[in-house]
Amino acid sequence: MKNERFGGASIINYAIALATIFSLNFILPRLMPGDPLHAIYGDEALVAMTPEMEAHLIRQFALDKTWMDQLTAYLIGLLHGDLGFSYYYRDQVTTVIMGALPWTVLLTTTALALATVIGVILGIEAGSRRGKLLDSGLVALLMFLGGFPMFFMGILMLLIFGVSLGWAPLSGAVTPYAGLVGVDYFLDLLHHLVLPVTALVLVLVGDTFLITRNTVVSMLGEAFILTARSIGSSEFAVKYAHTGRNSLLPVVTETGMRIPHLLIQTLFIEIVFSYPGIGLLLNTALYSRDYPLLQGILLLVTVLVLTVNLAVDILYRKLDPRVRYAH
Amino acid sequence: MHIDPLRAVTSDRLALTGLAILSVIVLMSVLAPVLTFFPPDYYTGQIFSPPSASHPLGTDSVGQDIWSRLLFGARTTLLVAASVAILSTSLSFLVGASSALIGGLYESFWMRFVDAMSSIPPIIVMILVAAYIRPNLMVMILLISILSWPGGARIIRSQVLSLKERGHVYASRTFGASWGHILKSHIAPELGPLLTAMMIRDASRAVFMEAGMGFLGVSDPMIISWGKMMQQALEFTYLDVWKWWLLPTGLALSLTLVGLCFIGFSLEAAMDPRLMPRSVEGDGEKC
Repeated sequence: MKNERFGGASIINYAIALATIFSLNFILPRLMPGDPLHAIYGDEALVAMTPEMEAHLIRQFALDKTWMDQLTAYLIGLLHGDLGFSYYYRDQVTTVIMGALPWTVLLTTTALALATVIGVILGIEAGSRRGKLLDSGLVALLMFLGGFPMFFMGILMLLIFGVSLGWAPLSGAVTPYAGLVGVDYFLDLLHHLVLPVTALVLVLVGDTFLITRNTVVSMLGEAFILTARSIGSSEFAVKYAHTGRNSLLPVVTETGMRIPHLLIQTLFIEIVFSYPGIGLLLNTALYSRDYPLLQGILLLVTVLVLTVNLAVDILYRKLDPRVRYAH
Repeated sequence: MHIDPLRAVTSDRLALTGLAILSVIVLMSVLAPVLTFFPPDYYTGQIFSPPSASHPLGTDSVGQDIWSRLLFGARTTLLVAASVAILSTSLSFLVGASSALIGGLYESFWMRFVDAMSSIPPIIVMILVAAYIRPNLMVMILLISILSWPGGARIIRSQVLSLKERGHVYASRTFGASWGHILKSHIAPELGPLLTAMMIRDASRAVFMEAGMGFLGVSDPMIISWGKMMQQALEFTYLDVWKWWLLPTGLALSLTLVGLCFIGFSLEAAMDPRLMPRSVEGDGEKC
């Protein structure tokens, strides 16, 4: 069967997807009742706005001209990397977002790496003991945890280890105004990272675990495993070098496909822990109705998600030559 | 191969656990007016009162009975879940099945549309639209359904494609049966388990989205939503109220999702002998 997902068609799909978000960003504020400038910038922004600024903005968005001219003005702005001005932070949206992005990247990459390593190891151990207590116990536990919405897992972590036990800080990424440097700064960073990362890992690990476990289970009867056993490979080598390595392919693609999901969940986790990434920024934007900032953040997340998806598509084809013939 | 989804579910411990959890939530929402003395929006006159005989979970920051809001929140959750499940799965079925049967340009158009729509995480579009229009329950159900159906349409299309080449369908066609008849009496029953699994997945996505929008504070403030309650409660973690406000609400939401997840998993496992649970990529929920 022909599969349009791979190859040139997927790039066109991503282009359409991106165009959809662009159009929503353009159309939504202009569909709102009342003055479009109010809708673009939010009512609160206009309180602080002088008549000159208003005139300037109307000119910039071409709001006194036709829709076509407005669209052209919007697209030219985007091409210049201009996402607008955040009145709440009194800075360019691009600058504000770039200040928060590193924290989100730190959080997601740490969680992804940990969840993958833990998931693969647990998956191999459970898969090679199929049906034993450890296997069925892990499956039940991780499925239970995996069903939790991540932001509630975050809240639980916060309540148990932050509020009740006081083991970890309740908010932020570093202790403010502590003037820490070097190792102390690093430890402080880790201390703030522990809870949000644990929450993400607990929910994420289930998927990697199940994929690895199921692949391992389906592989245990294969001839090359029997061969490895018969030539006297140790149990460890059979598990990790033979079974484990060969079950990595589905894990890699599944992990790639999970990144968008992780990214979205991280936004919620950041809100729970007041972690200063783009999720917290999104919350502020929603709360203060800072629409340019909101649009900028969602645009960035979309671009990230589409880039990751495209990369996974390409990587998948590179990693498994069978895919190229199979479809 | 016929799979009886009912048998798969009633003989599986995981699914039974899921069903038990969901039954409790359904009972909570149906019996809500009987189980509580106060309407959910009633001002009791005291804020942050700890649990007592008249307020089993105390009152919140604006003096409303938390137990009442929890019960009526279950109604919102289940209403959204059921409506989206039906609406979104119907759309998937309509587009998927018709694409497979009609083919040609019609099919290419819809499949391209589906591919493009599945590339964007639905929750991003949802946040963007909700931030502007602050949707009420009706609009929210419509929005979630519109964003949810494409993934399922592709799966149904490929199932129908393979089903229509099967022997009995072929035989039926040689007797001159119309596509409408074949769809109704041969293809729809075969798709039953798949559609059930899809409805469960749509329902769990809807529960998460509704709660998520409430948590971000972008849904209509009049909706009694677990997500909204959690957002409000999260501001008061320095008081003891989280024990009877934030925790029960979050647990109710999580258990609903876990219940749906268990049923969905056991259904998918029954349909796929390789036991490979696969979810639609890149959206808010797990199952």
